[in-house]
Amino acid sequence: MAEKLRRYEKIDFLGEGQFATVYKAKDTETDKIVAVKKIKVGSRAEARDGINRTALREIKLLQELKHENIIGLLDVFGHKSNVSLVFDFMDTDLEVIIKDNNIVLTPANIKAYMVQTLQGLDYLHFNWILHRDLKPNNLLVNEEGVLKIGDFGLAKFFGSPNRINTHHVVTRWYRAPELLYGARLYGTGIDMWAVGCILAELLLRVPFLPGESDLDQLTRIFQTLGTPTEETWPGMTDLTDFIQFKPFPGTPLKHIFTAAGDDLLDLIASLLNINPLQRCTCDQALQMPYFSNKPAPTPGPRLPLPTTVKRQPEEKPSLKRKLLESMDGASLAKRLQF
Amino acid sequence: MAGNFWQSSHHQQWLLDKQDLVRERQHDLSILTEEEYQKLFIFFSNLIQVLGEQLKLRQQVIATATVYFKRFYARNSLKCIDPLLLAPTSVFLASKVEEFGVISNTRLISTCQTVVKNKFNYAYSQEFPYRTNHILECEFYLLEHLDCCLIVYQPYRPLLTLIQDVGPDDQLLTLAWRIINDSLRTDVCLLYPPYQIAIGCLQIACVILQKDLKSWFAELNADMEKIQEIARYIINLYELWKAYDEKKEIQSLLAKMPKPKAAPQR
Repeated sequence: MAEKLRRYEKIDFLGEGQFATVYKAKDTETDKIVAVKKIKVGSRAEARDGINRTALREIKLLQELKHENIIGLLDVFGHKSNVSLVFDFMDTDLEVIIKDNNIVLTPANIKAYMVQTLQGLDYLHFNWILHRDLKPNNLLVNEEGVLKIGDFGLAKFFGSPNRINTHHVVTRWYRAPELLYGARLYGTGIDMWAVGCILAELLLRVPFLPGESDLDQLTRIFQTLGTPTEETWPGMTDLTDFIQFKPFPGTPLKHIFTAAGDDLLDLIASLLNINPLQRCTCDQALQMPYFSNKPAPTPGPRLPLPTTVKRQPEEKPSLKRKLLESMDGASLAKRLQF
Repeated sequence: MAGNFWQSSHHQQWLLDKQDLVRERQHDLSILTEEEYQKLFIFFSNLIQVLGEQLKLRQQVIATATVYFKRFYARNSLKCIDPLLLAPTSVFLASKVEEFGVISNTRLISTCQTVVKNKFNYAYSQEFPYRTNHILECEFYLLEHLDCCLIVYQPYRPLLTLIQDVGPDDQLLTLAWRIINDSLRTDVCLLYPPYQIAIGCLQIACVILQKDLKSWFAELNADMEKIQEIARYIINLYELWKAYDEKKEIQSLLAKMPKPKAAPQR
């Protein structure tokens, strides 16, 4: 195993999550730049469970999946419960792109990101896998403008009717109403809802339904799309956590997305259909007029990327440090007032 | 297990050739005869089965664990890792991969101890020698030697589909299902795709139950020569079982088995 540790030369620190630390590294055998995700060992009790289960999920699923729009798992190495996964290196992600005020996203750009997301997700669903954690942050983009779906730590096979799933999946803002109502048997609709929220966010450049609690999330969904009834969503009242909301009429989508054409509004409406059984599938979405109408999606290499990606990729961590420092400064000033 | 078998690592990397097996086992077969080698694997498959049942795992998990175990030794000699350690490690990894929920290591070890002491005392006079740290170390070694291919397709689901087509028949299903379980004591899971194994097992079940499905089999678009090979493997197993008393023979087989150089310490 030691030779593998040496094979990947650390270049840069990229980020830290709850379960892992990610580094940019060079594969000294191929000279390729890769991302190394080092899984945290966690508590002693966790270490006794052996190879981390989130990592194991990523390994088992990504080993079987090969698609242009799915992150590629290149290698696995480590020792005992200390596992590292080696992925394609991705320069940025949709969250960074959406938040970058210097980037103008044209309708053609947005279409390009949507096509790639739906194609990757279609492949996943075709293989009976739910991602269960789609959000801009997990849609990774490289400098060629190729989008890849990443982070399979929550992904799971679906379709076994006797398997009860947890509804505690998907980051709240992208969580479908059936999950918020406690559904244990769900399908591809939960990923489609998340795609709808991501599309809305690409258009608005702010999170579409940023709920502050699960209840607030439902309130925002119904305020925006209208409160469902047993007619519009049959079976809704049988869900374990169902509660009756005050009937909101909802806002017409064209008042929210004022610049969007009818074909795009149709797509949003079918992705964000309150009734999960009527929500469109990836395949249906890709067949909709929006994708064949003009403008054509921007070719990958012409997609706008943050300036940090190509010119000064090293700038990122130092910027973060500066931000942290300025935050410290602020709290210091406050303390002086006492 | 859902997904696409034809594009899976199981289909692309883990359907081995009979020649591969012969080559990889050369070392072990210079010490053991082929029959002795098979008897040892029958013993350890039983051990995995009993462990799994004791831990209340589903047959799917037990089958996956058995395939992990067999895949490992399809590429390695028995002297690489003591199978008594690899067996529980396979169960441990399979239960996580199949999302069965975590078996705590403490429970795994204590179950191993009980099982070895109560059910396999005819094979082992000493108590189960391994601890958590051995399992954890072994787990990673196993993952690596499986080339990180963790999803295993089993013949159970294809069997259900086939039976549905034949027309519901509980007796036939139960028997064919049991024959699939038995097939885990042969090399078929390393050599043939699961749907062919399912057909092979169904065919044997039909013969036993004297059920004439000849015309149904004739209409299957499957390589019948392969199916016959699978059936032969399984029938050979039953022949071997007839004249084999594990309780009498296993101790000397285990003594003869190639072993790792140093006994576990730590």
